[in-house]
Amino acid sequence: MQISPHIGSQLVDLCSALLLLTCFAIVAQRRLSACVDLFALQSAFLALTAALVAFLTGNHHIYIAAALTGVIKVIIIPRVLKKVIERLNVKRELVMNVNVPAGLLICGALVMLAFFITQPIIPLGFLLTRDSLAIALAIVLIGFFTMIARQKAVTQLVGFLVMENGLFLGATAATYGMPLIVELGVFFDVLIAALIAGIYTNRLQDAFDSVDTTHLTVLKE
Amino acid sequence: MIEVLVLLIAPLLAGGLSLIVHRSALLHAINLTSMSLLVAAEIMITRTVLRDGPFTALGQLVYLDALSTFILFIIGAVGLACSLYMRSYMDDQVARGVIAPTRLNLFFFLFHMFLLAMVIATVANSVGVQWVAIEATTLATTFLIAFWRRRESLEAGWKYLILCSVGISLALFGVVLTYYSSLHVLGDVSEALNVTQLLPVADQLNPHVLKLAFIFILVGYGTKVGLVPMHSWLPDAYTEAPAPVVAMLAGVLEIVAVYAILRMRIIVDHAVPPAFTGGLLALLGFASFVTAAFFILIQHNYKRLFAYSSIEHMGIAMIGFGVGGPLGAFGGLFHLLNHAFAKSMAFFAAGNIHRRFHTVEIGQVQGLAIAQPWTAMALMVAGLALSALPPFASFISEVQIVTALAVQGVPGQWLTNSGGMVTFALSDQFSSLSLTGLFLLCSVLAFSGMLYRITGMVWGTPPDGIVQGEAWSLGHLPIIALAAALVGFGFFLPQPIRQLLEEATRIILIH
Repeated sequence: MQISPHIGSQLVDLCSALLLLTCFAIVAQRRLSACVDLFALQSAFLALTAALVAFLTGNHHIYIAAALTGVIKVIIIPRVLKKVIERLNVKRELVMNVNVPAGLLICGALVMLAFFITQPIIPLGFLLTRDSLAIALAIVLIGFFTMIARQKAVTQLVGFLVMENGLFLGATAATYGMPLIVELGVFFDVLIAALIAGIYTNRLQDAFDSVDTTHLTVLKE
Repeated sequence: MIEVLVLLIAPLLAGGLSLIVHRSALLHAINLTSMSLLVAAEIMITRTVLRDGPFTALGQLVYLDALSTFILFIIGAVGLACSLYMRSYMDDQVARGVIAPTRLNLFFFLFHMFLLAMVIATVANSVGVQWVAIEATTLATTFLIAFWRRRESLEAGWKYLILCSVGISLALFGVVLTYYSSLHVLGDVSEALNVTQLLPVADQLNPHVLKLAFIFILVGYGTKVGLVPMHSWLPDAYTEAPAPVVAMLAGVLEIVAVYAILRMRIIVDHAVPPAFTGGLLALLGFASFVTAAFFILIQHNYKRLFAYSSIEHMGIAMIGFGVGGPLGAFGGLFHLLNHAFAKSMAFFAAGNIHRRFHTVEIGQVQGLAIAQPWTAMALMVAGLALSALPPFASFISEVQIVTALAVQGVPGQWLTNSGGMVTFALSDQFSSLSLTGLFLLCSVLAFSGMLYRITGMVWGTPPDGIVQGEAWSLGHLPIIALAAALVGFGFFLPQPIRQLLEEATRIILIH
């Protein structure tokens, strides 16, 4: 089956846009477990985007990355996070530094900033998926913002994972994937980081009786 | 090629063995053997590099030149010192019940993984693999920092994990951008991130993309170096982690992160005028230097004092690299070496003091010269070296950097380009003069703050209830060796080290 490059490019853009949309949903969501579900959904879109790029370009090593995304980010990490949340017994994210409407507005501004930053370099790309670079940067910035705006250790972790998704989208879409050895290494690091953060959340819960990172103020000048 | 394999396999094997061995003496034996093998391999690599120049190994995966060999030398020297120090430190911690004996093998496993990740980050040819290894150092060290499992250490470990992971993610975006630009020139090949492939074509890479990539990488790895304003995890982590871990963090990890920035800079400088990267490095360097100098003045906790002094010295080295020129770059590299030695020694001393006095408050530590004469000597030497006094080698490297700054000034193009943001870009001469003045003022501040605190700890009479006298142990050996090196390098730099430094300077300066 042959798809014209133009339609292929549009399809990749559509998938990237869906990824960005889930970012906004995560920012707007107050319930912890729903945040994790949304992250799993976003990762599923990411795997789909990667598979699409692999199909359109015939670069088979991207299929491996897509499959790994499916296994690690759609299944394993969300499961680990769900376990952590169950044990913590916190259902709602009550504490937010920024309320939801303001958060969404800031995210909108971040998307504009991302397009502004990448504008000079996007026309340089010769690949059909080059527009996704701006969306990828936007997702990275929104993940960054989520980490600042939320105070629960679990949501900070979700913010970190969203950042990682954005980076992966950038690597897949703008450059047809990094060299395989680098990609495998990145997956390994993300998996270990998520597991370590999960262990930490448990220990913080035991030590502070809370995973609210505002309690982490013992160390100060 | 066997030496490169030893370099990678020794820590890997030692880490694996540490997991199944439970006797403390055996764990230390494994650690010392692996460390000695590492150092032996490094000596052989140094000889090869100095004789035949740069080489690749393991099918293009490993690239070694004078710069990476120099960093390997620091890893080996400080790592061996740490291993010797750990012998008495860890046994004491177990004996006092601070660390459960069953957790000792976990400590060694993480320590070896940390070492392995740093070695990979140094020898990797691909900047992508280097990124993976630097992120792996974060993962390996976060539990080492939180190893005491107190509330404060958990907090420090979590802060470190989150801040460094986020910072490092930004660096990954920089790597992606580098790949994006190299694809145009090299095509879609898996070697397109290799330094050996990038360097010959670096002048054809797109300057806009590379500028953006460098900013992301500088911010990302700068978090790991602890440059202001990304430094907030550093004082907490250095206060809470066990002494040998901090010595490795301060003495080696920071330097590996600086190396990653320098590697990228060499590539970017081919396509972009060096004033761009130099200006950015000098800007972050000054921000770190000035901020840390003031924080040193107000510290009452000796571990935090040394932590801020780390930020200060990394700032000074960054100024050296930013100003550039043969003198600035040489001074920067030399300063990295001196700082690694002095700071690991300072934290060895801090570990000894903490074990004896059970406090980190400077005001409660007195009469160290009577209570712990060896440690007092170590603290004094490290403190004087960190204040950059003659006859210590750090005095020479700092003089080199400030001379380069006074003569050349901070690369001007970037300053004038950013227009209204920087107001002191009146004339080149004025800016270099005022910046030199600022540099000297901050040196004096840091010097007086450091010396005042340390002399207060060393002299006087020890408080009641503190055991007096210090028995000789293996942990004193590295302290004496490091002290000798710090004084000795000021007068006479051994030929291989001098040659390594000179060739590494040449690598940084090739434009």
